[in-house]
Amino acid sequence: MAISVLPPAPAPVPTAHKTQDGDSPVDEDDMDIDSLPTGHQRTAQNILTPGQLVTQDPQWMRGHGTFNADDSDAVNIRSTLAGTLQKTNKLLSIIPLRARYTPEIGDLVIGRIVEVQSRRWKVDVAAPLLANLLLSSINLPGGILRKRTSVDELNIRSYFSEGELLVAEVQQLFQDGSASLHTRSLKYGKLRNGYFLSVSGMGGGSGVVRAKRQIFTMQTRRGGEVDCILGVNGYIWLAKHLDEKKEDVGINKLEEAAAADTTMYSSQNDEIAAETRAEIARISGCIRALVENGVKVEEGTVKMAYEASLEIDELEGEVSYLGGERGRSVVEMVLSGRG
Amino acid sequence: MPLDSSSYSLAQFSTQAAADGSSYLEMGQTKIICTVNGPQESKRGGGSRDQSNAARIETDISIAGFSGVDRKRHGRGDKRTQEMQHTVSSAFSSTLFTHLFPHSTIAIAIHVLSQDGSLLAACLNAATLALVDAGVPMSDYVVACTTGSTASYASNDEEADPLLDLNGLEEQELPFLTVGTSGGEDKVNVLIMETRVQMGRLEAMISVGLDGCKQIRGILDDIVREHGKKALNSRVN
Amino acid sequence: MPSEPAPSTNEREFILAALRENTRLDGRALDAYRPISLTFGNDYGTADVRLGKTRVLAKISCEVATPYPDRKFDGIFTITTELSPLASPAFEVGRQDTPELLLSRLLEKTIRRSGALDTESLCLVAGQKCFHLRATLHVLDADGNLVDASCLALIAALLHFRRPDIEVHGEDVTVFDPREREPVCLTIQHRPFCVSFSYYHAGEVMVQDATLLEEQCREGEVVVSMNRFGEVAQVAKYGGPPVDGLSVLGCMSAALERVKGFDKMVTEKLKEDEKRRDAGGLMAELSAENERPVEGGDRVML
Repeated sequence: MAISVLPPAPAPVPTAHKTQDGDSPVDEDDMDIDSLPTGHQRTAQNILTPGQLVTQDPQWMRGHGTFNADDSDAVNIRSTLAGTLQKTNKLLSIIPLRARYTPEIGDLVIGRIVEVQSRRWKVDVAAPLLANLLLSSINLPGGILRKRTSVDELNIRSYFSEGELLVAEVQQLFQDGSASLHTRSLKYGKLRNGYFLSVSGMGGGSGVVRAKRQIFTMQTRRGGEVDCILGVNGYIWLAKHLDEKKEDVGINKLEEAAAADTTMYSSQNDEIAAETRAEIARISGCIRALVENGVKVEEGTVKMAYEASLEIDELEGEVSYLGGERGRSVVEMVLSGRG
Repeated sequence: MPLDSSSYSLAQFSTQAAADGSSYLEMGQTKIICTVNGPQESKRGGGSRDQSNAARIETDISIAGFSGVDRKRHGRGDKRTQEMQHTVSSAFSSTLFTHLFPHSTIAIAIHVLSQDGSLLAACLNAATLALVDAGVPMSDYVVACTTGSTASYASNDEEADPLLDLNGLEEQELPFLTVGTSGGEDKVNVLIMETRVQMGRLEAMISVGLDGCKQIRGILDDIVREHGKKALNSRVN
Repeated sequence: MPSEPAPSTNEREFILAALRENTRLDGRALDAYRPISLTFGNDYGTADVRLGKTRVLAKISCEVATPYPDRKFDGIFTITTELSPLASPAFEVGRQDTPELLLSRLLEKTIRRSGALDTESLCLVAGQKCFHLRATLHVLDADGNLVDASCLALIAALLHFRRPDIEVHGEDVTVFDPREREPVCLTIQHRPFCVSFSYYHAGEVMVQDATLLEEQCREGEVVVSMNRFGEVAQVAKYGGPPVDGLSVLGCMSAALERVKGFDKMVTEKLKEDEKRRDAGGLMAELSAENERPVEGGDRVML
């Protein structure tokens, strides 16, 4: 057969193969758990793979990404994922190199309405299950605080309808792992005037990570201010900055602030200048370059990547496409800038 | 009987950006792309949602028309392909931790680009890699390989010599079986044989197959580690 | 999709706990079959197998057709299985789902791929005329272990079937009516039978001939097909929890014993049926078939 399919990228040829002895705790990647610092940062550079024995020491507790191989009482903690070990006091868990987003309470997420039900929306947040957004957990236009009536139920599509994007916070988790969202803050709500992109969230290193700020405004060179919302679930929204919202408003001041805001559930885009659109496209290109090269996406890296792309444009002439080689050099500048 | 590991199998991780997990696997001239999506809520079905308390594994195998020696369309309804789909799904159903994802579906899509023997084994191996890439928890790798027996059923038993990892021509001529394991132990997860063979041969064939699976597990594990190291090195804290 | 209601947790636990103590609900030993009855119809090629409450009817028919262009010297042999609502409300009409797929694939592999039927003997004129042999399986009642019952019925029906006698002169083929010439039996090269093993408790408990309830509770199954000479036609273990390699081999030897029993039973029943038909003792005279050398002692002689 003379078929030869060219692999999509240079092939990593594994160097040495030895028959893995799954039962023995000592192999080349053996790690000394005791020497690992405890805490939430990823410390070990050792990869654990599915089925690998983590420890037989009964002092450890097994957390996410691990299982006890035998039914017997003997401790035999094994990994179920390919990832690195995280130690939190006596709890061992495996952080996967890459995985689907798992919601946690307080996460800022961007979602897309998939289904409208009588009293709630089903929202795709890139999690294993669709999230719920109850009619009672959104702000009504004008910030009125009242019980939701059957009229609200009938008009449910005037708030959000299928396919629309929104930013929300995870309020509650259910037994089966699905999330319940809320948008009861002026920061949250329907998204418009911008551009959506999806990168892998959470998982190994690349993609969006939980940071101090998920929402920030970037001062761009030509296009004015651009709002960036980095959803923890890997969904990202880049939009033209709106001036009305001068400051963040707390729940108690909500009424006054929202009273003015009648555009809350508008599905109409404002006029966006071509320059702003170009800048949004540039930022999205930067984010994509970061993801392709395995660098995490957060406020710092995005801003640095944006600056780097401008610098490169000055040196090498303006190119709007930030993929491939150009993307790599942008990322290199980001990395060197941090080092 | 060692597998020729340098030229034997070439595998890559995370080849498709759009999928949650993906892999590309070559076992000799058998070449396969596998993507995994999920766990995610099943889209179809409309109103009633899946009430099961474990994730469902759905496998779809599409065999490209140009994958074989003669160009042939492989319809979706082909029973042999359907049987393979069922085999892949049920092989993983006991290995993946599906109970962690109630009401959801894990979709495995396998595209066969070129086939030259050991197709089912290659599908299982590629799916394992893609599932590891997708970060779906599993108790161990599912690995599979084929073993054959040199003599046909009629001839002398003593001279029969088990073969490991058959190509397409060998599969046509010799009795063979596909054996899959999960975990390093001698536990059989999948065992499919479709050709006539004397009962006495099976023991040798299965034990050679289990040994081959161990080697393949080593190869896959190295690939995962290699990829993981690379991912960790490029990571910025 | 209406499906068989799943047993409740208590029911399941009860069955599993009993099996751990090597006890089955109906008091059988783990390797015992339910009472098997095999009867033949008045027509040639009809076999009715009852295995406890499970009942399968196999019917063979044949007609003259054109062979496939890529297989000029072979006749055509097709096996049709349909699980209709007749057998169980869980089965739907016209929708192929997994149990049906597996049943038809297992029979295909056991009987067709292993060359149980000599399809070359169905060829009349190479590339132009051949017999098209159809085997149709009707599952009349499903209470577990459909595969074994179907395979048994199919093999019995094939052995029982008589095709019309023919005469070939060059390209001219004369097919004789059964009234003109006594029809002849098919060339069966070997008789493979399926034996299914359901396993529980990670392969520790292997059960033969599981009832529907036992099938619903099982972790997985191993289906072995072989003939009485220990030639394995097919082995299938589709996933499920891993079992020890040795217990799979244990299945093989258990299957061999079982298959020998099946083979003997089918031979006896065929003889009985023969005697019943041959009331006047005229059959030998009517036969137009010459004696052929017996291959492996596996051919049924009239």
